[in-house]
Amino acid sequence: MQTRGLPGLLLVLPALLLLATLTIYPVGYGFWLSLHAKHSLFPQQAFVGLDNYIYLWHDPEFWESLRIGLIYSVSTIFLQLVLGVAAALLLHQSFFGRNIVRGLVLFPYMIPTVVAVILWKWMLNNQFGLINFGLVSLGISSEPINWFGRSYIMASLILVSVWQFFPFVLLAVLARLQTIPTELYDAARVDGAGPVARFVFVTLPQLASVLFITILLRSIWMFTKFDTVWLMTQGGGAERYIRTMPVYAYLRTFNYYEAGMGAAVAIVMFLMLVAAAATYFFLFRGEDQL
Amino acid sequence: MKAVTLRLRLTAGLLGCAVAIGLTGTALAQPVKTVRVWHTETNPASQAAVAEIVKRFEATRPGVKIQAEALSWNDLEGKIMAALAAGSPPELSHGQPVTCAALLQQKLLLPIDDVVKAIGESNIWEHYKKLCFADGKWYGLVHASGTSLMIYRKDLAKKIGIEPPKTWDDFVRIAEKLTIDENKDGKPEIYGLTMPGDNLFINILVGEMMAANGGKLFDEKNRPLFESRQMLETLDYWKRLAKFMPPGWEGHGYLDTFSNLYGQKAALMYAGFGRGASLIEQYAPENMRNTETYDVWRKPHGPSGNAPASQVDEETWMLFKGSANPELAKEFLAFFYKDENYIEYIKSVPIHFFPITKSLRNSPAYRDIPMVKRWASWLQVQQEDLDKDQARPTLIIDWEDLTNKPYLLQILGSGVLRDMVLDVAVEGKPAAEAAKRGQQRAEQIVRQAGFAKW
Repeated sequence: MQTRGLPGLLLVLPALLLLATLTIYPVGYGFWLSLHAKHSLFPQQAFVGLDNYIYLWHDPEFWESLRIGLIYSVSTIFLQLVLGVAAALLLHQSFFGRNIVRGLVLFPYMIPTVVAVILWKWMLNNQFGLINFGLVSLGISSEPINWFGRSYIMASLILVSVWQFFPFVLLAVLARLQTIPTELYDAARVDGAGPVARFVFVTLPQLASVLFITILLRSIWMFTKFDTVWLMTQGGGAERYIRTMPVYAYLRTFNYYEAGMGAAVAIVMFLMLVAAAATYFFLFRGEDQL
Repeated sequence: MKAVTLRLRLTAGLLGCAVAIGLTGTALAQPVKTVRVWHTETNPASQAAVAEIVKRFEATRPGVKIQAEALSWNDLEGKIMAALAAGSPPELSHGQPVTCAALLQQKLLLPIDDVVKAIGESNIWEHYKKLCFADGKWYGLVHASGTSLMIYRKDLAKKIGIEPPKTWDDFVRIAEKLTIDENKDGKPEIYGLTMPGDNLFINILVGEMMAANGGKLFDEKNRPLFESRQMLETLDYWKRLAKFMPPGWEGHGYLDTFSNLYGQKAALMYAGFGRGASLIEQYAPENMRNTETYDVWRKPHGPSGNAPASQVDEETWMLFKGSANPELAKEFLAFFYKDENYIEYIKSVPIHFFPITKSLRNSPAYRDIPMVKRWASWLQVQQEDLDKDQARPTLIIDWEDLTNKPYLLQILGSGVLRDMVLDVAVEGKPAAEAAKRGQQRAEQIVRQAGFAKW
């Protein structure tokens, strides 16, 4: 029996080694680093045990970054879902030029993040931006709004992120919508179900599995989102009002030059995601259709 | 006979070709030595100037390739860090004086005395000898410098009858007077002042304000002095100034503040630099592109200080230990500073780049640069700052700070000072409360860096 299992083990070994090298080692090294006081620039390091974690527990900046990160991720996920599902339902209907619109609507998701952010920063600029020009011209605002100041920078970030990532939800939901048997809708109509009832009792249950995985993926991606947030703060000073946890981990590592502390923030973030994902799976464990 | 001659000629021709191909092959096979050079001058004119100097140098040194790369400020430290960690630093890189000091403290730099010798030590202005100089050796040489300027709308100041400010109180009054709300709707057409809210510039400003207010950022035991009277006055000054700045100013970067100035949305700019003259020449209305409209003042001092202070932007060239071709890099650097080459670089941003060599600064070629003539008053104020030794690199109050306080790099990067300012000027928190929080954070950074002696 053991002899028969050996070839199988040898066959999966390369995959296991790859997994260990690309996933387990970096996480393990990150954890090891988080137990050290390590300057990011210089080679010296000292073992400090859990001191970095204890510091973070008492660090108001850490909690603030968690709070900001939660506001950012929850609101963007919610809006992406609403917009993505609504757009998918719309694009599931037959109308002239549907295929072109389907292609165009993916545009925000396809362009590089850096381009998307620069584009929006130009449009939102308070001196020469198109959006401020429109708001002032239409009399909606009496003077240009500084979208990158304290009061509006989170709203701007959410706007850019939702615009950029809702096509992912749209794509996933639209693909699933196209596979729902039409008989289900016919049967619902026979039973007297109107459009809302058909959406609630036919479409939504059929979308459950795809929404389950979409919410999971988008939660992970938005909670760890770095590039969009980081780029939004470049060139202006309201960074602290959108300093999410990944940004804080970066700052600790590359601006404070505290690699150990930065690693500790990253490990905490990793553990939070593992816990959230486990809870999510636990809550929906009874849903066989998922 | 003819056939024999032809055969001989053909043979000779073939032999000649073979030799030529062989020689070319040898030349091609000759190993190219590469010198990597990182600098922070990303504007096209400076990049072109560097490229031209590189071309000239390479023409004198066959087999040597200078790989010059312009990096943004924000990328530089991280890239140096990654290169050092990977064991493949560039030969040369720009770096802020605090970076140079921190790297020197870690013994990661090589001396560049040979370059200084080639330039002639007596040919370098005294000011530049205070940077990254240790144990009688030069570890950093400034590429060019420019001091932070207070730029003001001279035309408006004349119209209202404003005199240059001496103290912070004077300046607040001026900012108020220059806040112009002609239709009295509570929304000024021109704000009195524009200041950037980004981390680097707030650090620059807090550093120079503390110096102008007779304060220090750290004591001799490296304990932060963020709860000192001078710091509380500085924070209060920000609060008073914020009233005359455009709403949402904390979201403005440096270039936004310039566009506020030349776009006539603001009348004063606290932290401008000479390169702004080029922006004004490009973007301000044509009749305003002059020193009669945009001129500079020396900066005022605070209630606890008695002299102005400004920040000097002066990255040093650093030569890295462990790089592949340090000797060639030194040769290139010496070539860079030769007057005929150096002027190409200086000309690319003439009002911001003060040459570090006396020979160039005193030369007719430099003085005849058209922009140098047009913006002479801007250069004069910078010259005064440097000559009176009232200009320091970011966060440096005393010159010894450069060598004694290598953790200033972390303080700068952490944003502690920026957060204190925003807490007071934007969040409206009392200065003492913001300072207390800043003090705690800074103490933790100094401890973590291993420099706490209290």
